[in-house]
This record gives sequence, C-alpha cells and structure tokens, in this order.
Amino acid sequence: MIGSIVLTIALAFSILAMIMYYLNFRGYTNTLNYGRIAYHAMTMLVIAASVLLLYAILTHQYEYKYIQGYSNNALPTGYLIASFWGGQEGSFMLWLLLTSIIGVVLQSYTSKRGDLEPRVMAVFALATTFLLIMVSPWFKNPFELIWTTPVFLELKNLNPEYFNLPFIQSFFFSDPGTNQGFIRIDSELVQLLAGSGVSVNEFIIDGRGLNPQLLNFWMQIHPPILFLGFSMATVPFVFAIAALLKNNYIHWIKQSFPWLLAGMGVLGLGIMLGGYWAYEMLGWGGYWAWDPVENSSLIPWLVGIAAIHTMLVQRKTQAKGGIGKYAKTNLMLCILTYVLVLYSTFLTRSGVLGDASVHSFVDPGMFVYLFLIIFIGSFILLGFGMIAYRWKTLNENIPEEESLISRELALFTAAIILIASSIIVLVGTSAPIFGQSVDTFFYNEMHLPLGIIIMLLNGLSLLIKWRHSNASEVLKKVTYSGVASILFIIILTIFGGVNDIMILLLALTSAFAFFVNLDIAVKIIKGNKKMLGAYVSHIGIALFILGVIGSAVSPDVVDIDLVKDQKTEAFGYELTFTGSAPIENTTKFAFNIDIVKGGSEYSIAPVMYRSDFNNSLMRQPAILTLFTQDLYISPLGYDPGTQSSSTTSGEIVTLKKGGSTNFSGTSITFSEFDLSAETMQAMQEGKDFQMGAVFHIDKNGKHYDAALYRKFAGGQVEFTSYSSDELNLKIDLVELTAENVKIVFSTLDGSDDQVSDNTTIGNREVLSVTASIKPFISLVWIGVLVVTLGFFVAVARRIPESKISS
Amino acid sequence: MKNKYVFGGIIIAVFLLLMGYLFTQSNIEYADDFTTVKATTKTVKATGSWVKEKQYEINKENKTFSFYMADENGNEMKVIYEGTIPNNFETATSVVVTGKYKDGYFHAKDILTKCPSKYEEESVTSSSL
Repeated sequence: MIGSIVLTIALAFSILAMIMYYLNFRGYTNTLNYGRIAYHAMTMLVIAASVLLLYAILTHQYEYKYIQGYSNNALPTGYLIASFWGGQEGSFMLWLLLTSIIGVVLQSYTSKRGDLEPRVMAVFALATTFLLIMVSPWFKNPFELIWTTPVFLELKNLNPEYFNLPFIQSFFFSDPGTNQGFIRIDSELVQLLAGSGVSVNEFIIDGRGLNPQLLNFWMQIHPPILFLGFSMATVPFVFAIAALLKNNYIHWIKQSFPWLLAGMGVLGLGIMLGGYWAYEMLGWGGYWAWDPVENSSLIPWLVGIAAIHTMLVQRKTQAKGGIGKYAKTNLMLCILTYVLVLYSTFLTRSGVLGDASVHSFVDPGMFVYLFLIIFIGSFILLGFGMIAYRWKTLNENIPEEESLISRELALFTAAIILIASSIIVLVGTSAPIFGQSVDTFFYNEMHLPLGIIIMLLNGLSLLIKWRHSNASEVLKKVTYSGVASILFIIILTIFGGVNDIMILLLALTSAFAFFVNLDIAVKIIKGNKKMLGAYVSHIGIALFILGVIGSAVSPDVVDIDLVKDQKTEAFGYELTFTGSAPIENTTKFAFNIDIVKGGSEYSIAPVMYRSDFNNSLMRQPAILTLFTQDLYISPLGYDPGTQSSSTTSGEIVTLKKGGSTNFSGTSITFSEFDLSAETMQAMQEGKDFQMGAVFHIDKNGKHYDAALYRKFAGGQVEFTSYSSDELNLKIDLVELTAENVKIVFSTLDGSDDQVSDNTTIGNREVLSVTASIKPFISLVWIGVLVVTLGFFVAVARRIPESKISS
Repeated sequence: MKNKYVFGGIIIAVFLLLMGYLFTQSNIEYADDFTTVKATTKTVKATGSWVKEKQYEINKENKTFSFYMADENGNEMKVIYEGTIPNNFETATSVVVTGKYKDGYFHAKDILTKCPSKYEEESVTSSSL
C-alpha cells in the first residue's frame, strides 16, 4: 500500500520536474531549482519504493501479488534479490530505478556544460514519467495486493492452522483435471480473515518461487546490467531532442558521445551475459538462438553502434566549421536507439510474441498493450516530429567531396551494414506480429556476407586516413596483417578442416581485422593509452567472431548412453559415469562423470531434478572448459536400472468394481475405490494426488485387505504393488480408471509357470547425455570482455572532450 | 556526396533483394488448424495442446519423443520429435511444434512449450466441494 503511494507521489514529482525544467528552458529562470528539487525528490522516492519492495521480498510479505508469484521461503538471499526483477512488474521497477539514478548523474553532468541542463532534463523526466506510469497502480505495479483480482492459491502455500475457520470452506475449489486443491483469495476472504484477526501475511505463508531456469548466478547479474544499458540508452536520445530544441547541432555530438559509448558497452555486455546464462543453464549447447527476447535487445545495440561510427564522422568534419556530416543521420540513430529499446520492451512484454518465444512474458492485458504503444508512439512522434520540424535548418553545407578511399566513407559504410543487420533482426523478430515467422537460418545466412564486410571494414577503416588516402599507401600498411591472416586461413583450412568458402572469407576478414588492430594497438600502447579504445574494441569483435566461427560452424554433437562404471569414448574423451548423488538438501541429483583426456583427469556433474515450481524435470548441463575447447555435456535422461521388468510378466486381469478373480487358489475381489479423506489430506499438504483400489483377498478361509494406489505426480503415473509372503502372492496394479482396474498377479518365489524370470536383464544404471565439442568458445567470452574494456577506454578519452560550456 | 548515395544505394538494393529472397525461403507460417497442417507439405508451426489421455512415448533407441497433439477443434495428430522431452512439457498449457506433416505423423524439428506463468483464473475449472 505504502509502495503504491510512494510511486504515485514520485510520478507527480516526475511530471513536475519535466514542467519546471521545460519552463526554465523557455526562459523562466526561477524554475530551474524547482526542477532540480522535483527530479531529486522523484529519485529518492523511487529508491525508497525499491527498498520497500526489496524489504518486502526479503521478509516474505506474500500479501503482494508480485512477491507471492515470484519468490518463496526456500530461496537463498541472492536469489531473493534476483526475484526483484524476476517478473514484469519488478523488471519495470528495476528499469525505472536505474533510469532515475542515471538521471541524477546526468543532471550533474549537464549542469556543468552550459545551458544543457533544462532541455536535457525536461526530456529525461518525460522518460521517467512514462516508466512511472508503467509501475503505477493502474498498470504493472509491483505493490499490487494479491486479492485485487481474485486468485487461486495452492493449499501448500497457505497456513493450515486457519483451515478450520468456518468460512474457509466456501472459498475452497478443486481442479478436477489434476485434483489439486485451491483457495480463492479475494477481497471478501480478506475481510473475513481480518474479522477473525488473521492478516493476509499470516494466511499466505509461502510463495510460488522463482522459475528454476532463473536460479543461476548469472541471472543475478545479467538483468541489472541489461537494464542499466537500456537506461543509459535514454541519454543519447535526450541529447538529440535537446539539440533539436535548441536548433544547434554542434556540441551535442561531443556531449552525448561518452554516454552513448558507455551505454552500448554496458548493453552489449548485458546481452552476452544473457548468452552465457543460456549456454550454462539451458542445455541446448549454444549462447545465441536468435530468440525474440535476445534479438529485441540486440536491435537497439546494433543501431547504437552504427550511431557511434557516424557520430565520429560528424565530430571530425565539424573541425572545419559547420555542423558536420551526417547530422540528420546521427539525430535519427540516437533517437532510434531508444525507440528500439522501447520497441524491444513492447515485443517482449506485450504478449505479441506469445507463441514465438520461450521466455517472453505472458500477455499483460489490453490496457498495458495500448499503453506500451502510446509510450513508443509518443517517443517516435517526439523524435521524428522534431527532426521534420527542423529539417530545413539541418543543412550540413559541406561542399567538398571525400574520395572513395576515406575513413569517412568507410565509417559510413560500416554504419550502413550495422543498420542492415539491425533491419534483418527487426524483420525476423517482428514477423510473428503478422502471423509469420522465420527459421534461424534466415539470420545466419543474411549475417554471413554482412559479417565479412564488417570485418573487412573493421580492419581497413583504421588504416585509411580521414578525408583522403592514397591506395598504394594503404596497401603498404596492409601487407603485414594481410600475410598474417592468409597464413592463418591456410592453417585453418588444413588443420581445422573448414572448407566453406563464406566461412573462410569471414575467418579471413576477422583475422585481418584482428592483426590490423593489434598492430596499431601495439604501436600506440607506448604513446597515449587513451587512444586505445577503438582498437581494443575492434580486436575484441574480431576475437568474438573467430570464437563464433570456431564454436558454431561445424558442431560435433553426439547422443551417448553412459552405463555406470563403463568407459565410453567421445571426441577423444573417455567418459565414465560413476553414479549419482543428491545435492542441495536432496532436491537435485548430480550425475558424476569422470573424464580422461590426454592423461589428465577431470570430473563434471550435470544435474537433473524435478522442480516443484512447474512440476517438470529440469536438466542442467555441465561444461568442461579446456584451453582450446569446451566439452559440453547435457543430460537427457537417467535409467536407474531397477528390477521393474519382472512385474508385468504375470497374469493380467481386468476387474470391474465388485468383480472377483482367482489366482493359484486365492480369491481376489475388487471391493471399492479408495477416494477417502486421505485424498483431501494429501491435497492440503500439497502432495501428489493418488487414488486407490481396495481388494479383499481370501485364501483357505483367511481374510486379507489390500489397497493399491495409482499415484499421479506431474504427468507421471506410478503404481504401487502388494505382496504377501504368507500368500506367496504379489499383486501389481497396472491401470486404474473410473471403470475398472487392471492388475497383475505373480508368485513371490517364482513357482508359478506363468512368471517368466527376467530380473537378470541389465539392471545397471544408465545416464543418457548429449555431448558436444565447442572449439574456441572461450574466444567468444574473451572477445566480449575485450570489447567492453575497449568501450570504457574510449569513454575515458571522450569525457574530457565533452566539457564544452555552451 | 554522390559516392555516399551510390555506395549506400547499391548496398541497400542488394541487401533488400537478398533479405526478401531469404525471408520467403525461411518463412514459416503458423497453423492453428490441423486439417491445414495435414494438407500442406510446407514447414509450419502448429499450435495446439498435448492430449494428456494418450501418454507420450520416449523411444531411447531412435532418440525420439512422440505424443499426440490436438488443436482447438479437437483434431488430433501424432507428433514425432527427434530429441528428448522438453523441460516443462507435462505442465505446458500449449505446445508449438515446427516441422512437416508426412506419412501420417508430424515430424517436428523444434518444440516450444508455453507454461502458465501464474495460475490464471481460467486455468482452474472450479468445482466447489
């Protein structure tokens, strides 16, 4: 309740900050301080609301729908913190929190740079206003109380002490499909509970928990970094609008440049951390699947990177006076970067990709859908409307023509290619909106030629001088790197067995880019280290692409059955499954595999467990990382090899209720179904539901009762059996329906002819796995880290250049 | 200035042609009605739900996973997937399979399971005790 109020007040302050800053820009000098105060007050309130939410998560206040839906008592603190952004509401909250904090830094940054502050902060406050509306009580509010719209909660999450309250019965429901019991939580129940002195937090004692796929170390880091990247992408947009407001396009390039660099560095890192999570957690063996959620965060990144390159040109050409080249392009790209971040949010949160993605969030309802469209629409309209309005004054007035071999043109071509790449991803990802979809080879095939050009430009553009270069001069510089990369390709063809011409070309240009940049980097490392940024980033990208080629081009995958204590050979590795062991309070099972390779011994353990969260078998791969390759073991299934095969070999009899049969002088009657009070009990304790059949057994005047059960556990059916030494009889239940039962009789000592003894058949444990080799995949991760490092070296260089006081 | 447009124009034209071609090549349509799925020879994404009454089968020798799937109108078809049972399969509210219908089966090369992320009101067909 307090949380919602805090957020609503924050929204008011955000609007106030926007108005005050805008008035200040329009000439009302006395409103600047009000704008500042309002903005900071808004940020404090957002921080307060976030702290409140985090506190409520850590103290398990399940009266909040969000907390009940995404956390539970069993989560350790790290994952409890991660459940802050485990769902839609919380991730909007995180985005808002990071954006408002970025705004504080931005306020201080702009206040030191002439008249920037009011224009920049007015537009920035518009962005926070939209985010605040998103988390307000009318939309995706993380503080929504659980009974606002009635929900059905499983009995295991409720406190059984209060089940004897007289009114509870009328809120009890059961699902005939799964026989699970629920209690309907609505405002009426809450009132009745309050009347009995029971608070909602006392009644709801556990939450639903976090999706087990999110229970991974990287999930504690990846979303905050990604959202930090999203938040920082707001800044170049805001600078572009601010420039348009003032109708001055010279200084905003330098002033927004460090922000764009930092934002794209962070966003890129965040995207690939998600890739690392997928690689380590999801078990399909890769880090990138062209999944809509991945794609939608890649699109703004590609456009942002394109903007970096064309802004460099504008910056350079400004030196000769005027606003520089590509002024319109740069405004558009910076605006698009943020608009595409919003579009990404729309794709993944609006439910339009419902059928297309595994981890798209669920449909949030029409209301939110419309709001997201208004959100994006407003920013597109604002951005492109402003450009259209200023179009005539946006004349570049650059008469001179650069030659074909100039860095300007190389950078512009690079930007074109990057935009082409983003269009491909955008088209493919948006296709489901129109009932279409594309196969992933669409992305791969399209990117192969683009990748080749990009890597060639990556190498060449840094050798070409600004404005004009001599072809022979460039060729001279290329010699060393060219020879080195051709040698590399020869080695790759002979020893790597790569023979696809396109792949070889990509490898060639990547190697070329790597050597060129390394060459330059080595030369300048002794001089001004601040100049290293671009080269470091470009080396990183080259390494990254080489890693992609190594790990993804010719995948070696094999499915193998590992029999316990028996050596199996795969890809030159000797694998031995040594048995399983329960881990983490026996909630999961680790399957230990000993690996011998080239005299060295290693041990890894893929994990499988049945998750209570979604009642499914979860499988986690294990990765053996060596210097040149990863061995990736993904579990498929496990056969404990028990002696179950003997049970179905007896005599099968189908009985209706009340029917009897005879087996070796024993009379067996199916007297009744067991759907007793225990059923209710089992449901209340949240156990898997079972139904049973009661049998009367008569032999030589003696009377026995036996109950056999069909247990239902998440789609898996288990049957119990009955055995009696006295009777020398074993009864196995094989089917139980509402009409009849099927049972199998056998004698315990095997004296009956009808029982064939096949218990000797292989009762050894078998672990089935998919094994694959990922050569040079470490280059992918090293590449990403190097790229990120390069970005921040460049930021360090560009911040001093941004200090322009006008 | 002209260079810019010549270069850009050529690249964009080639690129758009290539993209258009590949898009039609890799285009997969959604199909909610299994009668159309069975009629076409193209690769489609079929959306439906698992027929729980008919148990799924995991064939360890052929490494296939097969089950029956029904569309909204109750049309059923058997799906064979070369691979193992996906996580979340048993609790999935709907299943999307990508592949072709051939020889009386749907040969899936990809399975996507959609899970109820919260217990929505409609998922519980309530019967008061």
